[in-house]
Amino acid sequence: MKRNSILILALAMACIMICASVSNAKVYLDVYGTTFKKITIGVPAFKGEQADKSVSEMSDVLNRDLDLSGFFITAPASLIDKELLNEGIEKTEVKFASWRSIGIDLVCKARVQVVNGELSLEAFVYDTLDGALMLAKRYKAKTSEWRRVTHRLADDIIFAATGEKGIMSSRILFTAGRRNLKEVYLSDFDGQNVTRLTNYRSITLSPSLSPNGKYLAYTSYKEGRPNLYVSDFDNKSEIFVDRSEGMKIGTAWSNNSTLVYSHTSGRTSTIYAFDVGSRSKRVLLQRDGILTSPTVSSDGSRLVFVSDMYGTPQIFSKMLPSGEAKRLTYHGNYNSAPAFSPKGDLVVFACKVGGFEICTMNADGSNQRVLTNDGSVNDSPQFSPCGRYIIYTSMKGGVNKVNVMLFNGENKRTLRFTDFAEEQPKFVP
Amino acid sequence: MKHIALLLMVVLLVIAGCAPKQVQTVPPVAVTTTQDRTLSDEERARITEEELARAERDRLLREQERLAGILKDVLFDFDSYAVSNNELPKIEGVSSFMKQDRNVKMVVEGHCDERGTVDYNLALGQKRSEAVKNYLIKLGIEPARIRTISYGKELPAETGQSEESWAKNRRAHFKIDQKG
Repeated sequence: MKRNSILILALAMACIMICASVSNAKVYLDVYGTTFKKITIGVPAFKGEQADKSVSEMSDVLNRDLDLSGFFITAPASLIDKELLNEGIEKTEVKFASWRSIGIDLVCKARVQVVNGELSLEAFVYDTLDGALMLAKRYKAKTSEWRRVTHRLADDIIFAATGEKGIMSSRILFTAGRRNLKEVYLSDFDGQNVTRLTNYRSITLSPSLSPNGKYLAYTSYKEGRPNLYVSDFDNKSEIFVDRSEGMKIGTAWSNNSTLVYSHTSGRTSTIYAFDVGSRSKRVLLQRDGILTSPTVSSDGSRLVFVSDMYGTPQIFSKMLPSGEAKRLTYHGNYNSAPAFSPKGDLVVFACKVGGFEICTMNADGSNQRVLTNDGSVNDSPQFSPCGRYIIYTSMKGGVNKVNVMLFNGENKRTLRFTDFAEEQPKFVP
Repeated sequence: MKHIALLLMVVLLVIAGCAPKQVQTVPPVAVTTTQDRTLSDEERARITEEELARAERDRLLREQERLAGILKDVLFDFDSYAVSNNELPKIEGVSSFMKQDRNVKMVVEGHCDERGTVDYNLALGQKRSEAVKNYLIKLGIEPARIRTISYGKELPAETGQSEESWAKNRRAHFKIDQKG
């Protein structure tokens, strides 16, 4: 009897150990540390890529994605000689010592086939140190979807190397247009598939999608003054949120049906929570002067907002539903546009230190860091759903462009979606 | 006197509004009749229309110049919605204009320069327009005759990136309320 129980215990232990060894898959990059060393990755042209013109750029796009991610150094094509280019994709065919000798840590090998408009991609990522298989994946899709397939592979490689998915498959919501003619757009992260979501031939501002993607909130001047609306995509209808006198700006959703917005009119400003289902609103906060840019942490417990109650725009935090407002920023005379990280541990915002720069701080206001330093106007920062990237706008020569960087301020890149000035970008999960 | 001017404006507008229609409808009818008469008819119509349009343009231009002399932008300091003392005469000018002509309704637009964040500037613009509205009310203008609207930094008066342009963009702009 006793022996049996020991046996069961041993079995259970073995089980746990096996499970642990699987779930604790090797993470190559701990990106949350203070610094990290980029991984050098070699992505030679995919086998079969040249056979079909429509997929001939797949390895180029993958190289660009991995470079854009900020976690990799991609080996230039000139570094990879013919012998390495021609070898097969199976583990037994790869000469790891040769790859290692040119300084490559990981190598991604893939084969692509197009049959009747259907694309199938087989990809392997090996560690050149011991030839360990880090990733083996097969993708099937329509040939026209080759870019999205490549972005998915990039995100899977980023997941395998860093423990969290990349942002290459995500989409971006933003406003773009000319003077007096600004609309809301949605685009793939790589600038493909740009879709215009509004067409009011007016000024449309501060768009934000509910987490489930069912509702789009925005402020539009289409009725001659800035009113706040919500578009319901499922029912193809429009909900009037607030058409009263004054400025109404919805900046964030606290859950799938609650929009948090600010209303400035008369002596006071008010932050409301509007429920789309019941069309009712309740007051979260009311003060003299300006209250704006309200945003709620993903767990719904904390509200962060901007107020000028001490004379200049500063960021405040308040526990919901009924905490006291606590001031978070004391440095400088302009701190605005706060946004929570997905975990709620960080707040990203814009501050005036000469120019307007992007900064982060802990949610309690400690440990403030300035991440940009170009002296222009940087605005509208937002975290990516994984929390590792910050998207924001940067003004160059009077024109706003969307930029993305890692949460520590490294790897700044400009994204391009339309020919217009682009503002107020947000990641769409 | 003001009323007569306004009446004249309305009459002219109506005439100008009708004129193009006449020109468009005359030719098809005229083509079927004698050509000589049509041409002269057409010409006459065109001449009178041109004259009217020119007169209307001139009048509008003069009116604009006159209004520009009265409706001056109230300028603000950076990140401020306090009306400074030397800007008050501009609002007083608008107030006496509105007192002279009781039918005039006014829109006060609040604008900001390109610096600062989008959302905060939208709220700031609202505050600027309301600060001006409040002073107009203080001077005895009925609140119902003044509408406020903020454009944040969406519609700058000047696009330059110098303190000079920025100063001109931080403004409350007056517009005659056509709706009212």
